[in-house]
Amino acid sequence: MAEALVIRDLGVSLADGDRGFALRVPELSIAAGETVGLTGPSGTGKTLLLELLGLLRAPDPGGVYRLCPRDAPERDLTALWTRRGRIARLRGRLFGFVPQTGGLLPFLTLSENVALPQRICGRPDPGLVSDLIDRLGLGPVAGLRPERLSIGQRQRAAIARALAHRPRFVIADEPTAALDPENAAEAMTLLFEAAGRTGSAVIVSSHDLDLLGRFALTRYRLALDPDHAPGRPVSRLIAAEDGREAA
Amino acid sequence: MRLLVTLALRALFRDWIFVFCNVAVLAGVIVPLLVLYGVRNGVYDALIGDLMANPASLQIDTAGNQSFTPADLAEVQGWEDVRFATLKTRSLFDYVNVRATGGRGRQEALIAPSGTGDPMIAPLPGLGPDEVAVSPALATQLGLSAGDGVEIFTQAENRPRQLVLNARVAGVLPPGRIDGRVVMADIALLDLIEAFYDGYALPDHGIDSGKPLAGRAGSFEGMRVYAAALDRLAPLQDRLETRFGVRTLARTAEVTSVLTLGRNLGLALALTVAVAAAGLAASLVFGFWGEVVRTRRTLANLGLLGLPQWQLSLFPVIQALVTAVIGLLVSFLLFRLTAALAERLFETGLTERGGLVSVSPAEALAIAAAVIAFVGCASLAAARAALATDPATVLREET
Repeated sequence: MAEALVIRDLGVSLADGDRGFALRVPELSIAAGETVGLTGPSGTGKTLLLELLGLLRAPDPGGVYRLCPRDAPERDLTALWTRRGRIARLRGRLFGFVPQTGGLLPFLTLSENVALPQRICGRPDPGLVSDLIDRLGLGPVAGLRPERLSIGQRQRAAIARALAHRPRFVIADEPTAALDPENAAEAMTLLFEAAGRTGSAVIVSSHDLDLLGRFALTRYRLALDPDHAPGRPVSRLIAAEDGREAA
Repeated sequence: MRLLVTLALRALFRDWIFVFCNVAVLAGVIVPLLVLYGVRNGVYDALIGDLMANPASLQIDTAGNQSFTPADLAEVQGWEDVRFATLKTRSLFDYVNVRATGGRGRQEALIAPSGTGDPMIAPLPGLGPDEVAVSPALATQLGLSAGDGVEIFTQAENRPRQLVLNARVAGVLPPGRIDGRVVMADIALLDLIEAFYDGYALPDHGIDSGKPLAGRAGSFEGMRVYAAALDRLAPLQDRLETRFGVRTLARTAEVTSVLTLGRNLGLALALTVAVAAAGLAASLVFGFWGEVVRTRRTLANLGLLGLPQWQLSLFPVIQALVTAVIGLLVSFLLFRLTAALAERLFETGLTERGGLVSVSPAEALAIAAAVIAFVGCASLAAARAALATDPATVLREET
């Protein structure tokens, strides 16, 4: 598979007084349509890595973060941070996000929420919105506001919203954390199926190794360096076992 | 931008209770200020209107027997505070008899000097040498209207014949302008009458006996001057008295007292507005800011989906401006109700002149623009807070 995203020797550091945290990504490449699972204990920087990937956090200077589209020249994403004005638009086009509890806007109906990324990107496609809503079993509640949806419905709506503008990548941060095991498995299945139809790569973080184990994913894990300085842990992304182990 | 406005409005009206609170805060401050401003306008405008309706409010008359020349008049006419000035003949000869040409009845009338630009004869632009303007009372009694001819008679004890001057009525003065029977004519016509009394020959008018007019000195007993505006009356009166060393008569005390009242009311209003604006600003700044803090997940979500930060910063500004517009509509509605109630309660009789509580459409527009600008400024702190919204909040706060 052709690489769509390439990261090499990229890092991000957080500092708060005399405490700090650093994340190092020696190498990570994600192909178009690939599904990637990210695991690691709490405090190892899973969300930070997703923020880095999703153009929500500026990387430390140095390192490589490249977008490699099939039909256009490569693009250095680290350079975007020197002129931040275009980051939001690019983030909106490239990525879809599935937060833990949906992150739907409370003043829009479910269908309006799903259509919102299309409107922001200026690529309205009502047919795809309806299709995603139907495929995710949300048709009967499409006109309701999030407050009237169950948590499972909200998660499925978030999945539909994340895919509605056909992003190249979907970033799902613990998308099933608020769901019971049965609904979690269903949501994850729907996520991968729907992403497969739109051709989006999925990067999903989760504590639930059993759940991730049910799907064919390229797996990475984050682990703290054992010999970090006191108060300044360093977490490192490691390809699981053979580097691209299928779970 | 359209999407941003739509989202901001949807978010605003979902939490209608916050809109209601902010509108109530705005109306709670704006309505009393509008009423105060309206009362200040209503009362002051009525007083000023009374003064302005009568050009005599601007009039300064020299008192006693003085001596003014046409050169003195030219000097005074050149002063910037002067709207109109004319010389006056001796008041001893102010009364004449007037008859409509071809008519039978005569009426005694006061004759007063006038000329081009005289506010007393407005809207007539001026009077020609053989034109007069007549008061409504005289016009009614003699059946005169514009274009009619009149004969002006005057008789002196030492002259065997009476002087008869023919003139055309240029217009009838508006009702209320001058009481009684009055004829207003160019100073040249009054000067003829004075010359007649002084025993000069006026062969052009059938008075052949008397001193030759060529030897007559051009001197006048007084001067009548109209100030350019009410607030120029007192300085102009001072200047006239100082320059010519004469005593003058004017309604300066009355005019000054109304102007002072207006100034004091304006000052009191400005102080009230300043205090109210400070309180309103604090309330709105923290209200809008608090709203951004409360809804930062919404803003972060929009940032996550690709809305640039600068657009997020406009989110609370749009909401604030819409709130301001609603607040203004409610405020003006309540203001109208209050004004109507005040008219009923106080029965001021000012309604015909704009009402006890009066705000003109232009003033209302200016107030609305000022309030919108004020609220817009008050939302800037919220805009700054929105600008600092971190879209990653959506991921991080749920982890």
